[in-house]
Amino acid sequence: MPLDARIDTTRAAPHTPDPGHDEFRRLEAGLDSLQAVPETPRGAFRRTVDGVLPPILLLIALVAAWQVYILIAKPRPDLIPGPFDVFGALASAWSSERLQLAVATSLERGGLGFLIAVAIGTPIGLLLAECRPVRRAVGPLLSGLQVLPSVAWVPAAIIWFGLTDATVYFVILMGAVPSIANGLVSGIDQIPPQLRRVGTVLGASRFEMATLVVLPAALPGYFSGLKQGWAFAWRSLMAAEIITTGGTIGFGLGTMLNQSRELADLAGVLATILVILFVGILVELVFFAPIERRLLRRRGLMAAGLR
Amino acid sequence: MTSPARTSVVTAPVQTADPALTPGLAAITIESLGKRYGTGPLVLDDINLSIEAGQFVCLLGASGCGKSTLLNIIAGLEKPTEGAVTVASGKAAVMFQDAALFPWLTAGRNVEIALKLRGVPRKARGAAALELLDLVNLADAANKRPHELSGGMRQRVALARSLAQDRKVLLMDEPFAALDAITRDLLHEELERVWRQTGRTIVFVTHNVREAARLGERILLMSSRPGRIVNEWTITDTGSRRIESPEVARLGDEITDQLREEIRRNAA
Repeated sequence: MPLDARIDTTRAAPHTPDPGHDEFRRLEAGLDSLQAVPETPRGAFRRTVDGVLPPILLLIALVAAWQVYILIAKPRPDLIPGPFDVFGALASAWSSERLQLAVATSLERGGLGFLIAVAIGTPIGLLLAECRPVRRAVGPLLSGLQVLPSVAWVPAAIIWFGLTDATVYFVILMGAVPSIANGLVSGIDQIPPQLRRVGTVLGASRFEMATLVVLPAALPGYFSGLKQGWAFAWRSLMAAEIITTGGTIGFGLGTMLNQSRELADLAGVLATILVILFVGILVELVFFAPIERRLLRRRGLMAAGLR
Repeated sequence: MTSPARTSVVTAPVQTADPALTPGLAAITIESLGKRYGTGPLVLDDINLSIEAGQFVCLLGASGCGKSTLLNIIAGLEKPTEGAVTVASGKAAVMFQDAALFPWLTAGRNVEIALKLRGVPRKARGAAALELLDLVNLADAANKRPHELSGGMRQRVALARSLAQDRKVLLMDEPFAALDAITRDLLHEELERVWRQTGRTIVFVTHNVREAARLGERILLMSSRPGRIVNEWTITDTGSRRIESPEVARLGDEITDQLREEIRRNAA
């Protein structure tokens, strides 16, 4: 049989273009418009205001409360510095270009480490999800590794790799790979069985089933695994940078934090913590949140009240 | 070819189609089919059935009588424990109670994926999908995603997707059970029209007696535990029937009485 896209109309039934059919189409169209869910998209400006304004207002309120406390209680500035001391420390780190260097170094390591973790964690997750015996054997170990704080690997990594970047990357991988693999596994586990059944009915081969059905269906779960993987990578990186200094290891945010501690410069310590926090929030807001929003909205998985 | 005689046929059909008028070939042949899961009780017992090409067959029974299992076996999704099923045209298209559209694809792409898996070249797919969606009156919704469609619209996209497979046999497992009554009535009309237009052989599983009486040319009643075909009715196709019509009501009453009798036998 030739592969013909047309519909088979072998049964030439008494089928004349009757006015009844037009009536029927109008009836059906009427019901469709009654039942369809109207989408009311909000403007980009409104969405930005709704999303950005509350956290900024909270930030201003917190800094104001902090300053009020300093003014009223007048604590020792070397124990509790005021917001202006911290901003001053930030400004001096900026003008000496230590801040830019530290952020660039850490982001580069975090980003590269995260990408390597994705490249390793994804095949592991696929293998675990699709191969039962492997899953029974490796699954508990992987969950255990997810719970184990990856800082615990720092001493071993220093002994193995010395004070090099390899130590830092090793710790990042131990933190991020289990999250990414587990995210993909749970994403695949949560695929409604009827979607796979449809794939079978439509005649998908094993490869087509994986690429056209399983992977796209598992994407939301996989993505939240990626997000968690990034969080673990960033945390592990900071821990590794704080503990390991010297050797060929460059100057990251963790290093900067540790230096400030050695100088008993509390304003500098707090300033660095704020920068680490800020980078984390920025990556979430600029990179992960828009992709996730798009992913979920396209599938109708986002409640109307959320962004 | 006519269906093999069954000893379990209890009453005579309401209207018997003249066999001379329907000399069609068997599209589906089922021979002494039995099914049990593991060492559990028999789910299906000695099913013998021959379904003519182009026939609209309703498979009716109470919940848990094995009618969905029978459909899955015809579809090749499950293996029979004994006996054999032959679908003359090869494989069958299947539609489920849940539309099961891929939520990451638009309605049009959901139809296109069936064309793609059938081997239709990329260039032809878009127009073909649109043509199929137009057949179920949804050409305008081609760019909508499943979550933007109502339940009835989703089921129509699923119908278009099944038709995209271009298989002579269409198996339907309670496709309208989850819809409201108004939508269901419209979809009956839609399905009947598609059937007349495309000449598919349809096996339609339902637990709704009126639905079976409204749609079927041939209605098979199944008993439960084990599932057997206990009676069948053949209705001469004299054009479209309405679900409110007296003939559907009369047939429905008769089938309901027997269905209840079958269910009563499971008491105590």
